Amino acid sequence: MKVTIDPIAGKSAQIIETLMGSEDMPQDPSLEFKLRLCVEEVVENIVRYAYKDGKGFVEVGTEIKDGALYVSFRDGGVQFDPLAKDDPDITLSAEDRQIGGLGIFLCKQMMDKLDYEYRDGCNCLTMVKYLS
Amino acid sequence: MKVTINQDGNKFNVILEGRLDTTNADQFQKDIEPLMNGDKPEITLDCKAMEYTSSQGLRMFLMLQKSVNSRGGSMVMTDMNPQVKEVFDITGFSNIIKII
Repeated sequence: MKVTIDPIAGKSAQIIETLMGSEDMPQDPSLEFKLRLCVEEVVENIVRYAYKDGKGFVEVGTEIKDGALYVSFRDGGVQFDPLAKDDPDITLSAEDRQIGGLGIFLCKQMMDKLDYEYRDGCNCLTMVKYLS
Repeated sequence: MKVTINQDGNKFNVILEGRLDTTNADQFQKDIEPLMNGDKPEITLDCKAMEYTSSQGLRMFLMLQKSVNSRGGSMVMTDMNPQVKEVFDITGFSNIIKII
């Protein structure tokens, strides 16, 4: 599946449901929970930060290849590598914990692989989950 | 996310039902305002019917925990489903919020 949404302003829910409605998505509720969480984190980041005023596109896709689910996101917004950010220190006390930086960390922990590249003026992020 | 707050003095029994995500985190923040005031609050969050939380939701719980700590109170989350619990475990929130 590959779908382009343009413009993306205010379309978070639609983008998330488009991906989660893909026939490539596993039916297992536990896996569905994790995928939905990760999809939501990435979509929300793109809708909020990729473009000024959300005036731009996102292309989202799903594919099953070699026993793994690939979920991909491509946008033409400001160059941003979400994987470059340091992980939050999860050993800190409530007082010292920063509010933020959790979304992509959750994706890193819950997916088997995350790939990012900036290609032809676009941010390309792919999440991989092995299906057993 | 439906939030039901039962207050008895400084004791708050709060029932959380449904999903907490980016679409309703702002509303949730408004809904829990009654928990953000007063000395030494004792808060129980009943999570039996909480189906889902994204990182937006985690931010809200961290904000609430910080507020409770600063007022010398206590907070506990109960009956969390295993998938939601895993989100709290992975992010280290299980270490800073009491979950029973």
